[in-house]
Amino acid sequence: MSSPADPERGRSVVALAGVREAAASAPARRVAILGNPNAGKSTLFNALTGLRQKVGNYPGVTVEKKTGTCELPSGRRAEVIDLPGSYSLQPASPDERIVRDVLLGLQDDTPPPDLIVFVVDATNLDRHLYLAMQVIELGRPLVLVLNMMDAARARGLQIDEGALERQLGVPVIGISAAKGEGLGHLRRMMDREVEPSARHFRQWPAHLERVLDRLEARVPRHARVPERARHDFALALLLDDGEDDALARATPPDLLDDAHTLARQLDRLAPDWRSGDVEGRYEAIQATLARAVVSPGESRDRRREAIDRVLTHRVFGPVIFVLLMGAVFQSVFAWAQPVMDLIDNLVARFGLVLEHAMPAGPLRSLLVDGIVAGVGTTLTFVPQIAILFFFLSVLEDTGYMARAAFIMDRIMGRVGLSGRAFIPLLSSFACAIPGIMATRTIDNRRDRITTILIAPFMSCSARLPVYALLIGAFIPNRWVGFVTLPGITLFSMYFIGIVAAIAVAWVLKRTVLRGGRPLYVMELPPYRMPSWRSVLLSVRERVVLFVRNAGTVILAITVVLWFLASYPHGADTRALTAQRDAALVHGEIAQADLLQRRITGLQLEDSFAGRVGRFLEPAIRPLGFDWRIGIGLVTSLAAREVMVSTMATVFNIGDSEHDVIPLRQSLRDAIDPRTGLRAYSPLVGVSLMVFFVLACQCMSTVAVVRRETNSWRWPLLMLFTMNAIAWLVSFAVYQGGRLLGLGS
Amino acid sequence: MIDGTRHGVERTLDRLAPGERGVIARLECEPAIGRRLMELGLVPGTPVEMIRTAPLGDPIELAARGVHLSLRRSEASQIHVEPR
Repeated sequence: MSSPADPERGRSVVALAGVREAAASAPARRVAILGNPNAGKSTLFNALTGLRQKVGNYPGVTVEKKTGTCELPSGRRAEVIDLPGSYSLQPASPDERIVRDVLLGLQDDTPPPDLIVFVVDATNLDRHLYLAMQVIELGRPLVLVLNMMDAARARGLQIDEGALERQLGVPVIGISAAKGEGLGHLRRMMDREVEPSARHFRQWPAHLERVLDRLEARVPRHARVPERARHDFALALLLDDGEDDALARATPPDLLDDAHTLARQLDRLAPDWRSGDVEGRYEAIQATLARAVVSPGESRDRRREAIDRVLTHRVFGPVIFVLLMGAVFQSVFAWAQPVMDLIDNLVARFGLVLEHAMPAGPLRSLLVDGIVAGVGTTLTFVPQIAILFFFLSVLEDTGYMARAAFIMDRIMGRVGLSGRAFIPLLSSFACAIPGIMATRTIDNRRDRITTILIAPFMSCSARLPVYALLIGAFIPNRWVGFVTLPGITLFSMYFIGIVAAIAVAWVLKRTVLRGGRPLYVMELPPYRMPSWRSVLLSVRERVVLFVRNAGTVILAITVVLWFLASYPHGADTRALTAQRDAALVHGEIAQADLLQRRITGLQLEDSFAGRVGRFLEPAIRPLGFDWRIGIGLVTSLAAREVMVSTMATVFNIGDSEHDVIPLRQSLRDAIDPRTGLRAYSPLVGVSLMVFFVLACQCMSTVAVVRRETNSWRWPLLMLFTMNAIAWLVSFAVYQGGRLLGLGS
Repeated sequence: MIDGTRHGVERTLDRLAPGERGVIARLECEPAIGRRLMELGLVPGTPVEMIRTAPLGDPIELAARGVHLSLRRSEASQIHVEPR
């Protein structure tokens, strides 16, 4: 990656090797990449670190922590951290709070960096220098990187880097991260010790300055807070909204109380004091730019205007949006299917190979039906995740995502969400797991969690086989006007899910996720060609994260469910086994097959899962379900479509995939042993479908919510409320239906 | 700082027609929101241009300091501008 003009190339290779060795053993240099959203931070991070990246979470928050390593020209290693995009050191979101905490030394797991690489968009210095100046004032070593210099030159901007250096007191480098321009220079700079700037740019109103001085004097000496940052610390205290845990931990309570009291006094004396320093900063930026940048006057981005005229057009805008979303949804739904089938197939074959290679017994059963099946379940999600994130990254990197949110904001706003919630919810119709992972584009935390919690109400593709089975079994294929009854039923299931999602979002926004009305302000970036490298890296990152974090939980759950469905082996199947063996001896294969199915069925009934099914019966009886459906509800915790194969096992039907029709028949004809009457009326079928729409059955979803929210609180809340809602609505459907005389 | 009276009557940002320009006079919003809008460059004295309205009428797109921002009408109506 380093540029061919690297001066190191010219030196003696032997001497260099010695230097490199010594440097390689030196402690890694901690470098933080920082900047506004849309400054090209991630592109630079990817260009520097490539595949040597790691994604985790900052403890206790939903903010992702991206780190990577890169080698510096001296051979020393740099540990690069990609801090979240930020507009100001006075945070307005958890992401921005992390940035401030790292820089002020309040973030325990992430000590302040040795060097800050501050990335700005060279074509938008005016706005990007706002945060840059705040950070420069902290007095930490910093390099200012002017990104997108190619675009700036194309626009005729003349940026005097030397003048900028003199004005700001920090080294300035022009690069183009997307084109790889200037990266060698940047790496050499990252190797050097950089003297922090001594400049101050703020011009506070005098009254605010006095208040801040008084507070600053009382800020405790903290080893990590540099002397110069104490002023910013004081400002953070003064602007504190009382919800800032990191700040509260780092501050003596009486000081924080006094800061709040001072803030209230200021509110009375000068209501607009909170933004008192902002105007001064922008004046300082203007003064700086006047000395360093010659602009050819106002330049209009004609290409952007032309594209926007179409993409956000009153009519074409929404039409293109719907078509694009349709294409994305269709791809996730359809393109993934062959790959998922292939994975299913390979996993099944691998299972067969194992089955033949190993003696029958609990170990083989654990490997084949537990572990291999669990790995298989995890892997079948990968194609959908990869395809969805491919499109999401392309849409995000080109700048279309912001336009999509712009178009959809009005509609989503009705539910109290932002336009960005639309795509995750749409994706959830294919599968809630990639959908929930896609909520990371929503920057407001409350909106994001609301979206995560309502995503599983969208009917995913795993519910489809269950709907198909139940509709086939219980809904007569009759025409009603222009549509068929099965069609209406299927549509209703999707519709019920959407209505439930809206209702739950409404309630969440007024209860647990209540909060001050967030400010919906969003940048509409210029259109750019996506960097395929970045797109593929982001797909890889999501897949790896899913397999590593959620995959392990899914595997564990599958093994537990395997155990529940396989043990204990108490069922007395000796008589049946003898009959089966006799049938085999006489060559009556069909008879033997039937007997084998009855054995499997009996074993399942007697297993823990079967017992749980029976145990559940009193709880699900009011919904019209018996213990056999109860078993299905237990096993469908692995994946909803498992309901179909479980029912097939319970009703002694062979391979469910090829025998859906006899299974439908069996469900229709099933007898309730206690009454001798039909066990399932069409009303039971509808009640069961409604239950599948609303219940949180998918443990993989629970695992992903745990990973995405970085806490057990939200997945458990989701599990409880969704299942409570499902029970209540199914209860209303079944009992209401019976009252109307539909129960027979 | 900027004398806008010669150019026209003060209006709120959401009342500008697409393509119309103005200069921000003052912000009348909740302090925390006002601070954030100013941090994004919408400080008094800044020239802004109304670009367009979203297809469904809300939010609006405006350009200021070379950056395009999307803002809901509820917030835009708290930003006072002097049209030019």
